[in-house]
Amino acid sequence: MIDFMLAAVISAFINIGLLLVTIATYVQNMIVIRSYYTSGLVLVAALLMIQNVVIVLFWSTLYMDDKALMMSADMVSHYLFAINFIQTIGLSVLVWITRR
Amino acid sequence: METLSYPACSYLKNSQKEFLISTTNGGQSMLQIIIPFFYFPKIVPGRFFFSGSTDSNSQSDRRFKMILWSIIGGTRGGVNRAKILNTISETPMNANKIATVLNLDHKTVIHHVKILSKNNLVVKAEKNYAAEFELTKIMKDNQNVLEEIIQKIAK
Repeated sequence: MIDFMLAAVISAFINIGLLLVTIATYVQNMIVIRSYYTSGLVLVAALLMIQNVVIVLFWSTLYMDDKALMMSADMVSHYLFAINFIQTIGLSVLVWITRR
Repeated sequence: METLSYPACSYLKNSQKEFLISTTNGGQSMLQIIIPFFYFPKIVPGRFFFSGSTDSNSQSDRRFKMILWSIIGGTRGGVNRAKILNTISETPMNANKIATVLNLDHKTVIHHVKILSKNNLVVKAEKNYAAEFELTKIMKDNQNVLEEIIQKIAK
């Protein structure tokens, strides 16, 4: 049986890696071109990064420590995995476009 | 028929007006319900790309500005692409000359020009050997957007 919670967390780690690449590119551009657009890109990518870090923190602290919460979270873990996996696909496309 | 004189209805066909007026909802004309949605883009002009506003030039400018910003500001080689566009804006050049002027690698220039060409920003002149690249019509028409970006790079 697939552990959807673990799969969701692995997906979140991949998202963090992809976002690091994206943020690095956006920051390099922001240093050269200071504008609302380049700053906005960095901000959006940073917020997505926070979202994924929160997922990992949730898994490593609350989820692992609290049995009751673990059972509740497991009931919806496939939804969390679906959300994260879709985000991984989206970010992969974004990184491909950004690094071309 | 007070609702017919509503300014937002001016671009609706008569048949559409008749249909909207005839369709009632508890005594209230459907037109009165729908009008605010039609009217909103007119209150905030330029914010809705497909609003049906007559100001099509400013809309295409905004769209083009967004595309150019994303190609230049949102990609790894964006700054070099802006420099290439700026270099060939006045006189068309071949890849070798662009590389010399901007002090870039020839392969890098070829790669950037390929991306710019795919995005319909530059076009290759007809002759094949040492073909010169020039800006497309849409790029020439919106050169002010490029100048705006170049000014920000220069700062």
